Amino acid sequence: MIISNCINQKHYYKALEELIKKVKNIVTLSAEAEAYLYSIAQEISVSKGSILIREGQTVDKIYFVTHGCLRSYCTDKNGKEHTLQFAIKNWWISDYIAIHNDEAATLTVECLKDSTVIEFNAQEINGILYQYPEYEPFQRFILERHVVSLHKRILNQLQLTATERYDLFLVQYPDIEQYTRNYHIASYLGITQESLSRIRVDIAKS
Amino acid sequence: MKALQVIHFGDIQDSLAYNEVSKPTVGPHDVLIEIKAAAINPIDKSIILGNLQSMLPIPLPSTIAYDLSGIIVEKGDQVSNFDIGDLVYARVPQEQMGTVAEYAVVLDKAVSKKPGNLSFEEAASIPLAGLTALQSLEHAGIKAKDKVLIHAGSGGVGSFAIQYAKAKGAYVYTTTSTKNVPWVKELGADRVIDYKTEDYKTIVKDADIVFDTLGKNYTLEAFQVVKQGGKVVSVVGPLDVESARMFGMAAYELPEDLAALSQAKEATYKFIFMHPNGSHLSEIKTMIEDEKIKPIIDKVYDFSESIEAFKHLATGRAKGKIVIKIS
Repeated sequence: MIISNCINQKHYYKALEELIKKVKNIVTLSAEAEAYLYSIAQEISVSKGSILIREGQTVDKIYFVTHGCLRSYCTDKNGKEHTLQFAIKNWWISDYIAIHNDEAATLTVECLKDSTVIEFNAQEINGILYQYPEYEPFQRFILERHVVSLHKRILNQLQLTATERYDLFLVQYPDIEQYTRNYHIASYLGITQESLSRIRVDIAKS
Repeated sequence: MKALQVIHFGDIQDSLAYNEVSKPTVGPHDVLIEIKAAAINPIDKSIILGNLQSMLPIPLPSTIAYDLSGIIVEKGDQVSNFDIGDLVYARVPQEQMGTVAEYAVVLDKAVSKKPGNLSFEEAASIPLAGLTALQSLEHAGIKAKDKVLIHAGSGGVGSFAIQYAKAKGAYVYTTTSTKNVPWVKELGADRVIDYKTEDYKTIVKDADIVFDTLGKNYTLEAFQVVKQGGKVVSVVGPLDVESARMFGMAAYELPEDLAALSQAKEATYKFIFMHPNGSHLSEIKTMIEDEKIKPIIDKVYDFSESIEAFKHLATGRAKGKIVIKIS
């Protein structure tokens, strides 16, 4: 569960300042727009094992990770989990399917290690686009980055071997194996746990 | 809701029937689980036959079985560690028996989230056998390098116990029949003894722990192969004095032959009465997610074929667990 809200005011501003700095690298933000961003953001500390979004429930939050790691996954009809995304520092995570279609969550978002995230209400962050259109290029930038990441993931899935996908995964998430379970990674790569173990043995031998 | 019930005691075909029963209601510490899969165990057969009426009396009709996996759809107002929508597995407490049904109410303390890498069918196969193995071997204080004999390595409890003991770093002997030797070896047992061609008593010497899952003469023979000061744990042998007192049998004494053997070897004898425990299931969840333990399933039956599943159970030939897919 979420253990505290805005626990450290100084830290709160620092993490959000960093995010706003990223925004300012892309767009020129008015003082009003910046104040609005501050007003709708909330930094929260989440402990390992916490569930931020639960399958089947309403979703109205999106999260920007400033520290730690979150995972989104769906559960198939047989009850097995399939990892969609790992979100480490500087990544956004939510159930965008649920938000966009205004339907119940098909994903669960869980915290894999103690993390700090900036939480936004999805409607409020969309509201900024109408009130402060100068923010829009930043929104487009993160959306495009997300699409690029997803396209790469699909293409890798289509054309790379499991070993190549695993190698790339380790480049993208170098320390992630310290706090993930094998099945988190195997289901992200679309392979069995046994295959992942074999790949690791092969890499260790080579 | 639909439930498979014991309607009288005796032959499986005549003693089980599908009944329409009311959906159970949650108490303050209960969760209501929409059951996706149930697993059946030898104890269910004993219950149907009426063999346990003196020890675990059940009213008729009663919904059968103890193992389940499913989704929490409702919870009592005192339940804080689970939420609606959680995917869980459990061995339900005795008084909540009845998992071959569409819903079950289960005490929160008996429930754990299910391993994320298992299907509902696989998860349902774990609780009773897993808890029995864990609680037996932990009672015996299993540790790395212990020599452990596990009888009936191809059974539901045995196949789990082998993997659990290996995860703890023990050296594992197990017994099984010729046709099961290869796959039991794959579970990680160090020495698989084919009881049809080999005498385990000449192979196992000075075991730290003997886990007796067969009973009768195997319980007594355990003291031939256990080391001086070792431990014999049994889930089928005679009650030990402490367990008997728990059941109110104040005058109970250990059978003389067993008592003499135990004394001669200064080896303890303990009957393990498995108890439902959500924390233990959480430990098992972690071990499964870390691939230290895999579910072993003999066959999955549809809900409509449940009576066939019990007939298969009664043959005693299943390799691993028999599972019933509910929805």
